[in-house]
Amino acid sequence: MINYLQKPKAFLLTLALIFCAALVANAQNRTVTGTVMDPAFGEPIPGATVLIKGTTRGVPTDIDGTFTIELQPGDNILVVSFVGYIPKEVEVGNQTNLTINLEEDIQSLEEAVVIGYGSQDKKEITSAVVGVKPEEFNRGNIANPAQLLQGKVAGLSITKPGGNPNGGFEVRLRGLSTFGANSSPLVVLDGVIGASLENVDPNDIQSIDVLKDGSAAAIYGARGSSGVILVTTNRPNNREGTTNVNINSYGTINQATNLIPTLSVEEFIERGGTDFGSRTDWRGEMLSNSFSSSNSASISGGFNNTNYLASVNYRDNKGVINGVENKRLNARLNLRQGALDNRLRFNINLSVTNEDQERVNNDAFRYATIYNPTAPIFEDSEDAAKYGGYFQRSITDYFNPIALVNQQKFVSEIKSSLFSALVEYDILDRLTLSAQYSQDTRNELNGNFWAKQDFAVGFGAGGSAQRITNDRLRQIFESTLRYEHDFNNNLNMTLLGGVGMQSTKNQGFNARSRQYLFDTGWDNLGGGSIRVGNNTEMSSYANEDQLNSLFGRANFNYRNTFFFSASVRAETYSGFGANNQTGVFPAFSLGSDFNQLFDMGVISQFKPRVSFGVTGNLPPSPTLAIGAFTNGNRVDLDGDPQTTNDLYVSLVQSSNPNRDLKWESKQELNFGIDFGIWNDKVAGSVDYYIRNISDLLFNVPVSPGTPNQFDPGRFNTVASTWVNLADLRAAGFEFAVGVNSINLGRVNWTPNVNFTIYDKTTIESFSSGDLGFDELRYATPGSPGQNSNPIIYNRVGQTLGDTYGPILEGYTEDGDYILSTTNPDEFEKVGNGLPKGEFGFANRFSYNQWDFSFFLRGVWGHTLYNSYRGFYENADGGSNAYNSVITDKTPTNPLVTAAPTYNSSYVEDASFVRLDNLELGHNFKTNSKNISSLRLYFAAQNLFTITGYTGVDPEARLTDANNTNGFTTALSPGIERMNTYFQIRSFTLGLSLNFK
Amino acid sequence: MSNYIKNICLLSLIVLMGACWELDQEVLDGVTQEQINNSTDPNLIPVLKASAYSRIIGSWGASGGIWSLHEVSSDEVVVPTRGPDWQDGNAWVRLHRHTWEPSEPSISGTWDYCYTAIGEINNLIVQYPNFPELKAELSILRALVYSWLIDVYGNVPISTEDDLGSNPTNSSRQEVFDFIENSILDNIDLLTKEDKKTVLNYYSAKAILAKLYLNAEVYTGTPRWADAEEVADEIIASGVYSLSPNYFANFATINGGSSENILTLPYDANNATGFNLSMMTLHALNQQTYDLQEQPWNGYASLEEFYNTYEDEDVRKDNFIVGPQFSSSGARLNDASFEPEDPDGAPLTFSPTIRELTPKALRQDGARIGKFEFAPGSNSNLSNDYPLFRYADIMLVSAEAKFRQGKVAEATDIVNQIRARAEVEPFTNMTLEDIYDERGREMFAEATRRTDQIRFGKFNQPWWEKAASEPYRNIFPIPQIQISTNPNLVQNPGY
Repeated sequence: MINYLQKPKAFLLTLALIFCAALVANAQNRTVTGTVMDPAFGEPIPGATVLIKGTTRGVPTDIDGTFTIELQPGDNILVVSFVGYIPKEVEVGNQTNLTINLEEDIQSLEEAVVIGYGSQDKKEITSAVVGVKPEEFNRGNIANPAQLLQGKVAGLSITKPGGNPNGGFEVRLRGLSTFGANSSPLVVLDGVIGASLENVDPNDIQSIDVLKDGSAAAIYGARGSSGVILVTTNRPNNREGTTNVNINSYGTINQATNLIPTLSVEEFIERGGTDFGSRTDWRGEMLSNSFSSSNSASISGGFNNTNYLASVNYRDNKGVINGVENKRLNARLNLRQGALDNRLRFNINLSVTNEDQERVNNDAFRYATIYNPTAPIFEDSEDAAKYGGYFQRSITDYFNPIALVNQQKFVSEIKSSLFSALVEYDILDRLTLSAQYSQDTRNELNGNFWAKQDFAVGFGAGGSAQRITNDRLRQIFESTLRYEHDFNNNLNMTLLGGVGMQSTKNQGFNARSRQYLFDTGWDNLGGGSIRVGNNTEMSSYANEDQLNSLFGRANFNYRNTFFFSASVRAETYSGFGANNQTGVFPAFSLGSDFNQLFDMGVISQFKPRVSFGVTGNLPPSPTLAIGAFTNGNRVDLDGDPQTTNDLYVSLVQSSNPNRDLKWESKQELNFGIDFGIWNDKVAGSVDYYIRNISDLLFNVPVSPGTPNQFDPGRFNTVASTWVNLADLRAAGFEFAVGVNSINLGRVNWTPNVNFTIYDKTTIESFSSGDLGFDELRYATPGSPGQNSNPIIYNRVGQTLGDTYGPILEGYTEDGDYILSTTNPDEFEKVGNGLPKGEFGFANRFSYNQWDFSFFLRGVWGHTLYNSYRGFYENADGGSNAYNSVITDKTPTNPLVTAAPTYNSSYVEDASFVRLDNLELGHNFKTNSKNISSLRLYFAAQNLFTITGYTGVDPEARLTDANNTNGFTTALSPGIERMNTYFQIRSFTLGLSLNFK
Repeated sequence: MSNYIKNICLLSLIVLMGACWELDQEVLDGVTQEQINNSTDPNLIPVLKASAYSRIIGSWGASGGIWSLHEVSSDEVVVPTRGPDWQDGNAWVRLHRHTWEPSEPSISGTWDYCYTAIGEINNLIVQYPNFPELKAELSILRALVYSWLIDVYGNVPISTEDDLGSNPTNSSRQEVFDFIENSILDNIDLLTKEDKKTVLNYYSAKAILAKLYLNAEVYTGTPRWADAEEVADEIIASGVYSLSPNYFANFATINGGSSENILTLPYDANNATGFNLSMMTLHALNQQTYDLQEQPWNGYASLEEFYNTYEDEDVRKDNFIVGPQFSSSGARLNDASFEPEDPDGAPLTFSPTIRELTPKALRQDGARIGKFEFAPGSNSNLSNDYPLFRYADIMLVSAEAKFRQGKVAEATDIVNQIRARAEVEPFTNMTLEDIYDERGREMFAEATRRTDQIRFGKFNQPWWEKAASEPYRNIFPIPQIQISTNPNLVQNPGY
């Protein structure tokens, strides 16, 4: 591999030398030569800059780290610099041959924290920003970058109930502080705003920085309200002439775990269950251990002012249920080129992700749990022949789970690419202009298929197939100008100004037909004879928006003692109402390092800081303010079905227009202290925040038929309007501390702990102008039989997402419920699905070449409605057909014989502590010339969970899986649905190998 | 050099700033109000008018819509709790037992359904002030919606194209009554007298009036029997409509040619959905009886007492599906989940007797609603046009109004025409109670029973699984969400 690179390197080197030679060609003065060395490695540093102080004359070092420079009279001091090293000034004097040792800038490598549009020394940070480095990441089979961070950052909730390899993570920063609008933090990937975490492979990540408070996030203006996560991918190796190759491979065995106990066959029959004569362990038949693997390779190198990094990752994650798989290929290229003495820098990032998903109908998990254990999988009967031989019976919500898995297929092919090009130019030494253009593309093609014999949907429909595309293109252009100035070495000032333009286009289509002669899947939609009505579809959508911004920031550092930062961003968005097109988002923060002022003894760091910032949230769709007309029923103008030239689609408004619609606004005040003890052996931080959210974006109920106060002269024709509502209030306390290497004999122990206590979000008011109401109810338990009773009440004066219900006061002798009330207006608060607190406890031990780490994560104070119990634990009229679950909380004396009725007993405390992951690794000693490190490791995930919760997974449900309305799903937390993918436990064996 | 670059930067900043403050949002997959205003397509106004009509199609017949509010609160339809099915937080039980709350989703759903149409109509009237026929038809369409509102909620706010102020206030039932009456009288002459079943004509406007006058005493305290008689007789005398020889032809899948239907909601399984009676009333196994595309939900049934008001020879007794159930190929249907209490075990047999309302009605309990044809191979929506006004109803309005004014012989004659078609013996000594029962049998499942029960003073009486209820239950409460979004609204008395 190295040979391949020699030629282009030599070529570019030659070019560079010619260029340098030209620069110095007509100098007539004395010549100095030298070598720039890295003393730690004992190796020369190629590509370092050697500059004559006070001039713009300079040369780079060559491949051997040597340089030759002409000095004019008066020239005496050389400034030698290289990225990642502390710049050094050298007095030449009479020397003609110098050896200059550069020290690696460990401080800057480890303590630089990425903030929006740049990075800052950790000591200068005055807002709540947390950086997470790869050694702190979670271990094991990690397919999604969000999982790297789970439990690692106080205030950052990352949840994914169940072990679906195609499932995504819910990410929340500092709790829920919005509804209606986007509640997940903004991801900024290598400077590209709004990128998707799914599109970066965990292996490619160098660091993740979380902007927690409003002040830090305010530089992202109307997109920053839910917090910001900055992801930096691996940067190329920048040591001249070296090439690093890194290989990381692992294999994982997954097994389903924590299955809810059900009645045995004997118990089922004793309870009145219909005996079909067979014995089937439905979950046993459906589940099997699965194998997943991941293989990654990256190569990186540098020569002259060129650095590159290329990586490719391929993962194949199979589900524990046949027919579930996620395959992902991710390739990434980063190319950096410096020119004009590295004053002009190009940085190109290109990444491509191809993801293939295969999914099943997740209701299979529910039916596998409660299907009649005496029913056979297959049956030899005339009826069964219609269903492909599968045993099926006509009972509400009752489908053979094996048939369901095999006769319905859902696939997605997702192709995404992210291209960004950054140009930076140092106009002056301390004045830098930069411009970045990025294009973020995501194309999704879905295929859905219901076989002809599928009893659940296909049988009556004659088989059905569907294709759906969803495509997104986002383009961003941003340009900044940065200026740094030192005032007498006392006051350092950094100014940043910028402009930005972003446009996003979304479009897609959806086609479905039914009644096929053959099961040709989604490859031949034309084979379906029926194309209108149920189980058919023909539609498309498109929208495009534009967001323009203007922003600035000033940072001041006074003698490394006092720090101050202020920023402002103005944003104009096409999707705001005509009356409110531009929002302004200011922020400031300040802090002071007390160690510079006082002698604080063992306390090596004590930096109190305070910050305040305003951030915003955009409306979820750009045309809401306009209230466009969309498609209603088809109408036949003359009422005669024989004539079709007068058939049209009626026009109905999709939402009532709101010409005042604007951004949601969040004001956040943060107090924090960064501290260190014993030379920062112990280091940590404490933060307390209060946030107030006003002008909440929400689709509020309005009276249809009344005048639309937001569009004078027109009447409301929809029962809800998107408006800005007031107010929410939330607060929280965060604590993180770590100890660096405690010596326990020859074992080193590095523990880190963090926790968060949320003061849950309170609804202060639900009003806006003349509009006002006092509660919003969401989320019914569902079918069978619990369809029209919402259980999550959002009430003014109460916390967001409260679970309400009747109190179970006991049971009658014949097994009926005694409930406090059956009137929903008299329900009481019986829980809340959002956690009161979370903690993470990471431990790393090292012993010679061995290392061992484990990570415990806990979440407490949240409840879950256990729907398996809520539907399937009674000895009721349905228990002859359905098997019943029998958990530690299932009442047995008396057995409940009433129809399952929602009440407080099904809302369980779901606090838990989980051993999320552990890893044992060995780093082999190597004397090889080519191998720099070799590591073998074993990891286990989800080894145990301590909880009183009796459902599938006590993980908090921040959104409702059954509510597909992205605008309201966050308002119904705390419900475990029966289509939850079972938990999995995984064991991984892996290898990582680095070549130099 | 650097000055030059700085200047370029400054310049581009200024240009961008200009661009920053003005952004137009395009609509790519819809139509804006502006596009509608600028369009000269001759079909635009007809489509917009049809759009207003389409607002009253969807939710009428869907579960939880106005149809179920009328039917399940009356004594002719019930949704028993069968095993775990239909428990639904006791919403159906509360509707049956007249213990509903202002926050019931069906109560607010019906309100939204009515007022959404009113908003649409008002917008069109504002937008096209110079089209008198359009305005007349829309005003009467609005009066039709108000005729439902006055019946269901009573004291509702009146919203017309002129009411552009903010939060409206309640109008008294008398004011709503006058508004409906005047809207029709002022505009009826601009309507066609041609037989139009899916849009309003002169006679369907008269039908609104006939039903309004019939219930005038309930709505305003002042009876208007003579007016009801006059208007109903005008429709009868027009000769445009007649009793169809086959009662069930009016409810067939293809019933657009019915001589009896005056105004219908033109449901279509594919294009105008919302009538899902087959899903609501049939047992899951009946999927095989009608080769349905989806498995029905086993909900609506009739009460045994009501079922028994039909004589055995009454052809209208086929309004119900009772007895053994078979697949389309004639095989007996067997329920794998039959309850131990099921007297005939697995075979599916609909029995008019319902074991109890809740929680343990048997899955096969209850006579099912078979009045509307279930087309073989149906999806979850039916294509039968749903009659809002039917000639037989108008005849019975006339008969009742006559009877109440002492014209017993004329009234008996009309009722006996209806009975003759049903192949039952004519009345010889007809009482008011007989008219009530005849209306029940004739109009079953056409959402008139609750109104009739109120007019005849029966609605508050006890019946199966229901105790006597308070008179304030004769109107539903104004939905809680309306009360809390609009401080000017006053809740109906008693709630």
